[in-house]
This record gives sequence, structure tokens and C-alpha cells, in this order.
Amino acid sequence: MRLKEIQRTAHQAWSPAGHHPIHLALGTSAQQLDASFNTTAALEIFEVDFSDPSLEMQLKGSLPTTNRLHSIVWVNFGMGADGTGGRLVGGSENGTLTVYNPEVIMSARADADAVVGQSDKHTGPIRALDFNPFQSNLLASGANDSEIYIWDLNNFSSPMTPGAKTQPAEDISVVSWNRQVQHILASASPSGKAVVWDLRKNEPIIKISDHSNRMHCSGMLWHPEVATQLVLASEDDRLPVIQMWDLRFATSPLKVLENHTRGILSISWSQADPELLLSSAKDNRILCWNPNTAEVIYELPTANQWCFDVQWCPRNPALLSAASFDGRITVYSVMGGSLKAQQQSTADKISSSFDTMDPFGTGQVLPPLQVPQSTLQDTIVPPLKKPPKWVRRPVGASFAFGGKLITFENPKQAPVQSPQPVPRQVFMSQVTTETEFLQRSRELQAALQSGSFNNYCQAKIQNAKSDAEQDIWKFLLVNFEDEARIKFLRLLGFSKDDLDKKISKCLGKSFQHNGHGVDAKDLAEKMQRLSTERTEEATDARTSGSVSPADFFSHTPQETSNFQIPVSCDTDGLISQALLVGNFEGAVDLCLNDGRYAEAILLSISGGEELLKKTQQKYLSKQKNSISMLISSVVTQNWRDIVQSCELDNWKEALAALLTYAHPEEFARLCDTLGGRLEHEKTEKRCLQACLCYICSGNIEKLVECWASQRESSTPLGLEDLVEKVMMLRKSIERLRNSEVAVQSPILAEKLTCYAGILAAEGSLGTAMTYLPENTDQPGIMMLRDRLFHAQGEASVGQQPPNSFNRANVSTAKPAPAAAAPKAQIMSQYQPSAPAQQQPPLPSVFTPQPAPTNARPGLPPASQVLPPSAARPAMRPSYPQHPAPAPGFLPHQPFHQPQPMLIGGPSAFSPPGPPMSAANLSGPPLQPSSSTPGGMPPMPSPGVPPTSFMPTTSIPSGPMPPSSQPGAPVPMYPGGLHSQGPAPPMASGPYVPMGSGYPQGGPGAPAVKPFPAPAVAPPPTGPQEGWNDPPAVRGGPRKKKVPDNYTPPAPITAPVMGFPVEAPQPHDHAQVPPGAPQEPSVQLLQQLPAERVEQKEIPAEHMVLKSTFDSLVQRCQLAARDPQTKRKLDDAAKRLGFLYDKLREQSLSHNILNGLHEISRCVASQNYQRGLEVHTQVVSSSNFSEISAFMPILKVVMTIANKLGV
Amino acid sequence: MVSVINTVDTSHEDMIHDAQMDYYGTRLATCSSDRTVKIFDVRNGGQILVADLRGHEGPVWQVAWAHPMFGNILASCSYDRKVIIWKEDNGSWDKMYEYTGHESSVNSVCWGPYEFGLILACGSSDGAISLLTFTGDQQWDVKKISNAHTIGCNAVSWAPAVVPGSLIDQPSGQKPNYVKRFVSGGCDNLVKLWKEEDGQWKEDQKLEAHSDWVRDVGWAPSIGLPTSTIASCSQDGRVFIWTCDDPAGNTWTPELLHKFNDVVWHVSWSITGNILAVSGGDNKVTLWKESMDGRWACISDVSKGQGAVSTITDTQQTEQ
Repeated sequence: MRLKEIQRTAHQAWSPAGHHPIHLALGTSAQQLDASFNTTAALEIFEVDFSDPSLEMQLKGSLPTTNRLHSIVWVNFGMGADGTGGRLVGGSENGTLTVYNPEVIMSARADADAVVGQSDKHTGPIRALDFNPFQSNLLASGANDSEIYIWDLNNFSSPMTPGAKTQPAEDISVVSWNRQVQHILASASPSGKAVVWDLRKNEPIIKISDHSNRMHCSGMLWHPEVATQLVLASEDDRLPVIQMWDLRFATSPLKVLENHTRGILSISWSQADPELLLSSAKDNRILCWNPNTAEVIYELPTANQWCFDVQWCPRNPALLSAASFDGRITVYSVMGGSLKAQQQSTADKISSSFDTMDPFGTGQVLPPLQVPQSTLQDTIVPPLKKPPKWVRRPVGASFAFGGKLITFENPKQAPVQSPQPVPRQVFMSQVTTETEFLQRSRELQAALQSGSFNNYCQAKIQNAKSDAEQDIWKFLLVNFEDEARIKFLRLLGFSKDDLDKKISKCLGKSFQHNGHGVDAKDLAEKMQRLSTERTEEATDARTSGSVSPADFFSHTPQETSNFQIPVSCDTDGLISQALLVGNFEGAVDLCLNDGRYAEAILLSISGGEELLKKTQQKYLSKQKNSISMLISSVVTQNWRDIVQSCELDNWKEALAALLTYAHPEEFARLCDTLGGRLEHEKTEKRCLQACLCYICSGNIEKLVECWASQRESSTPLGLEDLVEKVMMLRKSIERLRNSEVAVQSPILAEKLTCYAGILAAEGSLGTAMTYLPENTDQPGIMMLRDRLFHAQGEASVGQQPPNSFNRANVSTAKPAPAAAAPKAQIMSQYQPSAPAQQQPPLPSVFTPQPAPTNARPGLPPASQVLPPSAARPAMRPSYPQHPAPAPGFLPHQPFHQPQPMLIGGPSAFSPPGPPMSAANLSGPPLQPSSSTPGGMPPMPSPGVPPTSFMPTTSIPSGPMPPSSQPGAPVPMYPGGLHSQGPAPPMASGPYVPMGSGYPQGGPGAPAVKPFPAPAVAPPPTGPQEGWNDPPAVRGGPRKKKVPDNYTPPAPITAPVMGFPVEAPQPHDHAQVPPGAPQEPSVQLLQQLPAERVEQKEIPAEHMVLKSTFDSLVQRCQLAARDPQTKRKLDDAAKRLGFLYDKLREQSLSHNILNGLHEISRCVASQNYQRGLEVHTQVVSSSNFSEISAFMPILKVVMTIANKLGV
Repeated sequence: MVSVINTVDTSHEDMIHDAQMDYYGTRLATCSSDRTVKIFDVRNGGQILVADLRGHEGPVWQVAWAHPMFGNILASCSYDRKVIIWKEDNGSWDKMYEYTGHESSVNSVCWGPYEFGLILACGSSDGAISLLTFTGDQQWDVKKISNAHTIGCNAVSWAPAVVPGSLIDQPSGQKPNYVKRFVSGGCDNLVKLWKEEDGQWKEDQKLEAHSDWVRDVGWAPSIGLPTSTIASCSQDGRVFIWTCDDPAGNTWTPELLHKFNDVVWHVSWSITGNILAVSGGDNKVTLWKESMDGRWACISDVSKGQGAVSTITDTQQTEQ
């Protein structure tokens, strides 16, 4: 196909292959005249720019020359690294050889001479020129009289000769350097003789001549690839052939290429494809041969003119230029195409070019030549019959889904000679680039499948690269362990042991726990001391019978000493007076006003709940030291303030406080709040800390968000980092809730999809599938799922095939309309054979394709979509939830609403009793169910380890006076009076194991259990229980794990009448938070006996206990002098009732009964010291909750008795 | 690692020019100078010849799988100037459509993203690019960009149909108004971007960097970033990575991936768009990846389907 054309009568030279852009140099031809009869000569350089669709070539530079040229070559020599420059060498008709610098010609610089070398060595017209393909400075030229010179462009003045001149002297029409061997040169004469020179030997080594003598050699070329082969073209009309010679058989031509009908003027052999040899001849044709087969494979559509010069473009192998005697230089492509686009303006352009040339100065425009363009109009020019080598792609590599790489390669050499068929193979390879990612992914997958999360986390901790990373893994690990809350605290730097040591140091005395936690004896002693001190302190207040919990364990010293009640008008006096008239409020105000906070608090304890609260508030509002906020929060259970306003540097402390105190209901939220604040700082450090908070709270979504905001999570390893943590956290939650966790978080879904995408790209298709979020209607995810499914081939058989495509109906076009096939036949395999509506409609992944799908009436809509794999059970809703109660279990919700009753108290409680809300009894909301009998935790929760149901008999439990410090937490004494005190966080704590492993009996410890936060996962032991599930532990699945002697409490069936007969454990004082005024409860208790109905008899063998203790109390009452003691004894009389109730119910263990009898014997013998010792033993070896209702009062009574000496 | 998991003996009788897996990676289509197209089922390491498609009268240069939502459809293009669209019906493959609108070798075929419907771009040595759109009822609408590349178009590749800035496509309820774009490379050494406006295809950009034929172009799959990326390779041995960050798509910056010593025939992006496979003369296949600092590095030399993969380090210089 013709691409460019210009009116010139010239010899042509393409710029060398390395030259960019492509230029064509034209030197005015000798012995030819164009239509203008112009006799001037010029060297012109044109740029061949194919981005310009026109036939124009842009003239880049022009140099007038004195001589017309017979030959011209463009040499690499002197070419810049940028692929420009080189040298143009022209051989003129008068024997002058001139070297030009094409850059100077193109830049038209005046300061530089475009002619860089000139020689007149040749005596006649230089028709032959060729440059050495290996050494671009070597140029061969041939002229008349057998003259051949070898020029070194570095030393242009003295050319060499290849050897002695051949005789007889002939014109040299062609010289040609061998393409393989650099010192081999061939020359040819019009006579048809060719001589091959060896420049090392400086002599001709072979002469080729066919003996027909009709060979008129116009061209000679070496084979581009075969060193010994060359072709000779004959200009003689009688022998218009191309002979192909092989020097190994130099007697006759190897092949003769016959097709031209008249003499051949020019030949050119494509360096890009040896199977392409061009020839132009006087028959006006330009043919392209395959010299190997001697067949014409192409004929260029040329003008009806001789072409005296054809040349392949060295750079663009599809291009050739042809110079014709009608004065045109034409650039053709052998790739075919249409001429339409270029023809429009051709005629005008040609005409206009003549306009400018007006050679005779007549001002008259020559009539345009009859260029034969009409024949080309609308012509489709076909390409070469056989595609040239340069379009035959020999190699390829394509990626496919799943990180597969498809490659193929073809042998370099054409397999012509090879008898063996070449194996035509395609390789399918797996590309894995993320080795570490895959390794870690495999580890994660293994851990997830085997369930060995602990080991996994441990390994992660060991290999953690940074402390922050280690921290996170430690926290994640803790989630899989028991006692997570304690361990969280430890991780935060609040070690129980360390604390003990520090406290010991601070107190200057030993403060140690035994292995079981608190030594009951030790504690009892300490409490006693404490109480004593307190009582001493309280002496000033002279309250008339305040019964603080501490009193149960205390002596009342100074019982007998006299004192004076001040009634003066100073503060003391006023306080006294206020107290005497029972004006607690006034007294407290006075105390506060006077800065006597201790007294104020003590008084307010007696003054009732409201007063206590108020006093606390006032006190705390006045205290502005650093710990007051903490105290305030502890007292008021206001953790929100802590998390919302603590210094962020104190995040550890805040988190510790939450872990210690926070109500499980709120724990997660509070953790999140804290985490949110940390995250808001947007520093990496804070975000990692926030992550720890989220791990504690089990908030996967926030964890992901926070992590993604700070850490690189777009790289595979970054993503792996995140996914590892998320999966572990998720597993821990699943373990805890015993169900799969679906986190409906867009960002997590995004990250997991991304993760699955990377896995898929690395070839882990099956694994990728497991991470892909389920039940999503995100088209991207559904598509990936579909793709993963199908890509796994038969490996995935058995899975439900997701068919998420909205299949478009693309029917097969039949050749003729008449042959239109029945529609059913046209359906693709994806098209439904049944109406599409059979499939449940699902959101389609692919948007409907209106055009293709609806074209054929009568076909079912193509929008059937199979459900994406919905095989997995629906997920539970997101994280904090309240699932339906387990079967057989009544949904009491002890932790959400205080119930106006004391559950588990004596059965004497009855509906008509004074309505007593929990708020009356305790400052912080009391959790009614905290008095679950049998020492059961108030909120058994799913996943409670079996050990938590061990009978509690072996637990050391001393008589522990409830602390009068309200809410003072002793978090390191977990499992203390668990039903005591503010009882903040335990309500729905996952489990409250009372097993022997648990430290017990923190003095006055609030019912803080260092048990797992909601994020904590005990081992899954039961099905489908959520965090706030009702205590299904008492239900069936767990029953077998409950020891025989454990009496399951009956469900609480009504808010008031909640006292099952079997509920054995009177817990009254346990209900009373320390610091709560005792008076109301005492009054209440006093009323209780009246309400009692239908008591069982105490077994006869235990009647002796009742009689002994009753009589002891009576004796003491008679002997007691001071009202406080009297009050205590009154109380004792009532409280012993709990003991008798237990006796009636026969619910006391053997151990306790024996102890009681022993105590009874001691009392009978008035050996109170011994009795107290036995008492201590019993307490320390028993389940505290079993005895807490009566043992303390027994001690009080014995102590009083001892003191009174009754 | 690049490790061979399956070697398919195609039994082609001449050079293989292309081998493409279908969407799921379960079927392999090959084409050859022996004028045939073959389809193999390669699931689970097998190689079952499913179809031997004969219909071309010259070497078949490329094959392209349509998205499976349209059924099992394969397009092939040949030196015989034809494009044939093959379709499987009830297990047998037949010609669905034969396009003869080009005047020279058709060098490249590429299906548009499924969001655009069933649309095929074909680049030919006649310089034109044809766009065949299935309009239903056995009808194909043909649009032709004449003289897209003056002396021949060697490659076409579609832009992903992703709304910039979003990882996940918009809900199927409303069809996003995608702008159809593709890239082409040709013998005019140019890389050109084309855009459909009001149903007409217009040249959008002309990217100049190569000094010889552009042999192949590949528009990288979208990875959710607003950046568009195109790889182009050339006869001049150079591979360029073109990136465009501005939403209008007007400013493209070339970065030289590498200058090989031989013609580079083909570029192929991995599905996730993070690895580029470059295949060139000397039967060399190399894999390239962008490092964190945005530099491209060769991570593997693949020979006969095998090769080691090196991790990218900042100091690594890519010598070829």
C-alpha cells in the first residue's frame, strides 16, 4: 500500500535502523531529468511521519550539490546515542565521493559545513556503494575501470583496495558486504561477473559467473542470514532473472527466480525477514519473492513506470521505497490496507507542489501529470500472502485468574530442516510473589482449622517485631485464656503480685496471698484490726448503734469506758446535738463543713442511702487530688467520666479500671469510647493503644477501622497483619459465644475481600473462598465468589455453585436468516432450560445487559440468578446481643433492672413486706440475682468452664466483715464476697468460677471478678449462647458437669415471690453493700420473722445448736450495757435465724455442721477463745457464701460473750 | 516462584501466537499460524481438547474470551483479515459471527468490560480499529475508526469499567454511566486513547514515547485507585508504564520500565493489576512489579514456564 509519495527524480537512502524518526535522503539522480528539466542537484532529507495520514513527507533539510548522484548510502557512522545523525555518502557521476553530515543539512546551520569529506579518487561515476554492517566506518565503493575502494571514514583521505583490480577492467555496478562475515566483500559488474574479496587476504577468493553471458548484473545482495549465499539480478531483458548462488556450489546458481518479463533494475533483501526479496524491473512491476522457495509472494500495486531503485526501510520492515523514472519516490507498505483515506487531497498536493516549482518562471502552472492515481482510488491493497516474520508473534505470556501465567515460546529458527515436529507447548504456571504472605496465611489457616489459637498467638508473641505488635498479640492471646480480665490487667502492668509487694512495702508488713488468694485467717485478722480502728475512729461520732458490716467481725472495744457527750455550741456540740435528735443530715453537713470527712462519711453510712450518696458527692467534689477522680468513679460507678475525661496517657489505668469494675453491659461500650478517644489522636502509638481497647471490648469493626487508619493495610503483608488479628479476635468471640460471628462491617468486608483477592492472585483459591464475606450483595464480592468457585474446577464439587451472573442471552448468529435455528437450540448453557423465575431472584452481580439480553422474544429473561452460596447458617446479629433464653430457662434479666426484692434471702420474705428496692440497700444498683445460691455466680454465662461449678466447700473463706469503704475494689482479690458491695461488673460476666483455683474472700471486695470482659472467650461448651444469654449453664447441657452436691437453683419465676424452697442460702448481709446503712435492713429483718410461714423443724440432732446459741445471745443481752452491743445482739438473734433456716433445710455441709457443733460445745463450756478458733477454721475451709449469712454474727456473739464474760 | 502446573501440548502444526485462559482459568484457547484455534479444558491439571476451530484462512494472531455472563464466547483474529466470533452451544463450538470489514491483517481483538455489553475492539494492519457491538438477534453493530494508526494497529486494550474512586461497583439498580475507553498501539509508534462520546469514537489522547512500532498495549485492571495505568511495549525494546492521576484522564506520564535489547511483543497485567508480564524477543518472559516507592523492578525471569521470584529491594537494579 502506498503511504508517502513525493515528486523527485532521485536516488534514495533510508536512515539507518537505529535512526529515529525515520528519514529518507534523496539525492538528485544523474542521467535523469524530471519534467522541469531542472539541472540543479540537491541532497534533501525528508521525515517519514506516519502519524500524518497524508502522502506528504516533510522536508527537513536540503543541500545544493554540485554533482548529481549515481548512488547514496546512509551510514551508522558518527551516529549519536540518541539515534540521530550518521553520515550520508554520495557517489557522483564524475567520480567524486562526498561525505555529508545529515544533521547539519537538517539543522541548516551556517557555521558548519555539511560536507565532512570528499574524495576524487575514483575516475568515473560511482555506481556502487555499501557500508560494512559490522564496522560502520568502513565503506566500499565501486566505479569504472574495476575501481573498488575501501574507505575508512575515520581516515577518509587514503582509501584501500580489496586487492588487485580484476581484469579485464569493467565497470563496478555493485559492491556488497557480507552480512555475516565482516571482512568479506563482493563486487559485481554489468557483465554478470561477481567477485568475492577477502579483505584479510586482500585478494579475490572466488568469482561467480554463469556462462550464459546474458547476465547483465544490476544488483547483488548477500543473504541476510546465510553467509555463503548471495543473489544476482539481471538487467538483461533476455534473462530477467534473479540468481541465487551458494558459494559452496559456485558452479551454477542454486535457484533462479523467474517471473519478471523484462530486465531487473533493482533488488532489496529484507533484513527483518530473509523470505522477503524485492525486485523491480522494466516490466513496471515490483515483486516480492521468497528466495527460499523462488516464488513470488507479493506484487506491489505500482505505477506504470519503471522503478530503478527499491529499498526496504531498515527500521520499519514493512516499508519500502521505490524510485521510478517518472520522477516519483514512493513509500509503500507490504501490509496492505486501503488507500481511501489518503487519496482525498493527493491531486491537489501534487498540483500545488508543481506550482511552487514553476521551473521556467513563466508563471504558468504546468498541467498536472497524469498520475495513475485513479486506478488506486478505493482500492483495497492486500497484504503479503504470507505474513512476514516480524508480525508473527513468537512468544507470549498472559496472566489468568488465580495468579496463573500462560506462556508459550516458539523456536527461533524456522523448523524447515528439522524432521522432528516442533513441540507446540503452552505452559501454565502458578506465580506466587508473596512468599511470606502465603506462609503466614497458611499458618493462620492452619491455626483456624485446628483451633490451636493459643499456640498461634504464642508464636506471634515470640516473633513479634515490635513491642506494640507483641502487646496486641498478648491481648489477643488473653482472650483465649481463662481469667482474661486478670490477665488483661497484668498486661496493662497491674500485676496482683507486684501490687501486693508494693502494698506490703508501703504498709511495712507482710501482705501476701497464698495460692488460693487470700488467706482467710489472715484476712479475718486484718479486718478485725481494721474494724477496731474504725470503731475507734467512730467513737467520736457516738452513733447509737450503727451497724456497719465491719462490726460483725469486730470487738467493740472501749465498751465499758465512759465518755462525755459534748453539747456545747461548737461544732462538736452541734454535731452531738444533731445526732442526739437523729438529724444525720445536719450532723453530716456540720462534719463536712468542719472538714471532718471521715466522720461525715461514717455518719452518712448510718443516715441512709441518700445521705451517703450526697455525702460522697460533696466529699468528692471537694477533693481535687489526683486520685479523687478515680475514687469518685469507683464510688459512683461512673466509668464514663473516666474514659471520657482521663488523660490519654492514663489510658492504661482507665482500661484497668474498666476491666476491674465496668459492668459487662457497658464494658464494651466504655472500652470503645476509650479506644475512640485514643484513635482520635491519630498517632500511631495511640491507635495501637486504641486497638488494645478494641481487642478488650471485642469490637472487630473498630479494630479494623483503627488499624487500617494507621497501618498500611493495602500491601499483602499489611493486610495479613490485620487479618490475622481480626480472625483471632473473631475466633475468640466465637469461642465465647459459641457461634459464628458475622461482623457487618463494610470496612472489614472490604479488607477481607481484598485479602481473598490477594490469596486468589497467589493461587490459594480455596483459602480465598473462606475469607470472602458471606451473605453480601456486593457485586464485587459475589463476582469474586463466583469466580473462585468455578476456578477451582472439580475441587469444589459439592459446594453450592454460585451462579451470580445475570447471564445475557447471546444467540448464535446463523449464516443465513432462513437458517435461523429454533430458539431453544440457541440457548447457551447458561440460559435456563426452565423459566428463569424458578430461581430465587437475587441481586444480580452484573447489571443487566439490555441490548443483548432482550433481543429475542420468547426467550426467558436472562436474569436468572442462583443464590450465592447461602449454605452457611445465618449469622447471629452483631456483637452485643440478647438472644432468646435457652429453652427451659426463664428469662430473668437480673442485670438490666434492679428488682425490688432480695432474692435468695430467707423464705420469710413475702410480698406484703415493705417494698424495698435495691436502691434502698445499696448505693450502686444492686444486682438482685447476685445471691444465687450455692455460691453460683450471679450470671452464669455461656462457655463457663466446668471448673466453675465445682462445689465451693474447699474454698478458704473467712468471716469477712464487709468493708465499710463503699465500692473499694480489691480487684486482685477476685471472688470475694461476690454478692457484696456495689457488685458492679459481674452481673453478666461470662463466668464466675468459684473453683478452687479462684482466690476468694477479698475483704470487703466489691463483687468484682477479674473475669473476662465481653471480649473474653471461655472455651465453647454449649451451643449458641451469646454474651448476655440467660444463665443457661444451669440448663441441660451443663448439668452433667455440675457436681452432685450442687443444688441447682430453681428459676426465679416472679419478681417478688422469688424464693424457691430449695434456695438455701440466706444472704442477707451479702446483699448489703458495704457502707450502706444497716439500719433499714435490720429493721427489715426484724419484721421478717413475723412474716414467716410454715417453717420446717430443725432436725433433732441440730437442735442443740439452736438452743446453745440462743441461750448465749440471751446471756449476752442480759449482760450487755452499751446500746451498740445491745443492738448487735438484737441483730445477732435475727441473723442466727439464717443458720436455723439452713439447718431446717439441711443444706449445710457436713464439714460446717461439725464445726458448728464443735463451736456449740465450746460455747457451752464457755471456752470462747477455742470457739473462735474453731470458727475461723470453719470459715476458712468452707464456701463462704454458704456460711456468710450466719458465721460472722456467730463470731460477733462469741466475741461479745468473751468480753462480757458470760 | 513461577512453577509449571500444567504443560499443554497443543499439537499445533505451526507457531503458536496466542494462548489465553477464560475468565475462570479453566479453559485455554490457543491459536496458531496453522490457521486453527484450539480450546482445551485444563481443569485440575488436565488437557482435554474441547474444540479445534477451523475457519480462518491465515495465521490466527489472537484469541479473546468474552465474559462468561454472555455465554462461552471466543473471538479470534487473523492475518486473513477476518475476525471470527465463536460460541459454544450445547457443548459444540460454532461460528457466531464473522467480520470481514478489515482490509489487512487483524492483529488484535479485545472484549470490553462486561459492563459495556458484548463489545469487541479489533485492530488491524489497515490502520483501522473496528468496534463490534452485539445488539441482539444475531445483529452486530459495527463502528470503524479509520486510520487510527496510519500504517497499522497492533494492539487494543479496554479500560476497566470502574467508577473512579470506588473499589466496588455501584449497585446494579442504576446503571452507572460508564465512559467507554480503550487504548491502542500501532506502527506509527503511537499509543492512542479512544473515548466514546455520543456514540462516536474519538481520539482522546496521543501518547508519544516509543521510537518504533508499538507492539502491545495493556490497560491495567482497576485496583480501586483513581489512577489509570497503561503498559505499552514496542519494537524498540522499550516498555513504558503510563499513568494518569487526573480524573479527566488528560495527563499521562510515561515511565520507562525497561529497555530490552530485542523487540517486546506482549504485555499482560495480572488480574489484580500488580504484576506485569513482559514477553519479548529471545523468547524471554519477565515479570515486573512496582515497589513501594513506585519503581518498577523485575522480579522474575520465566523460561519455559519456570522461574524464581525475587523480592523487590530498593537497591535492586533491573538489568536485562
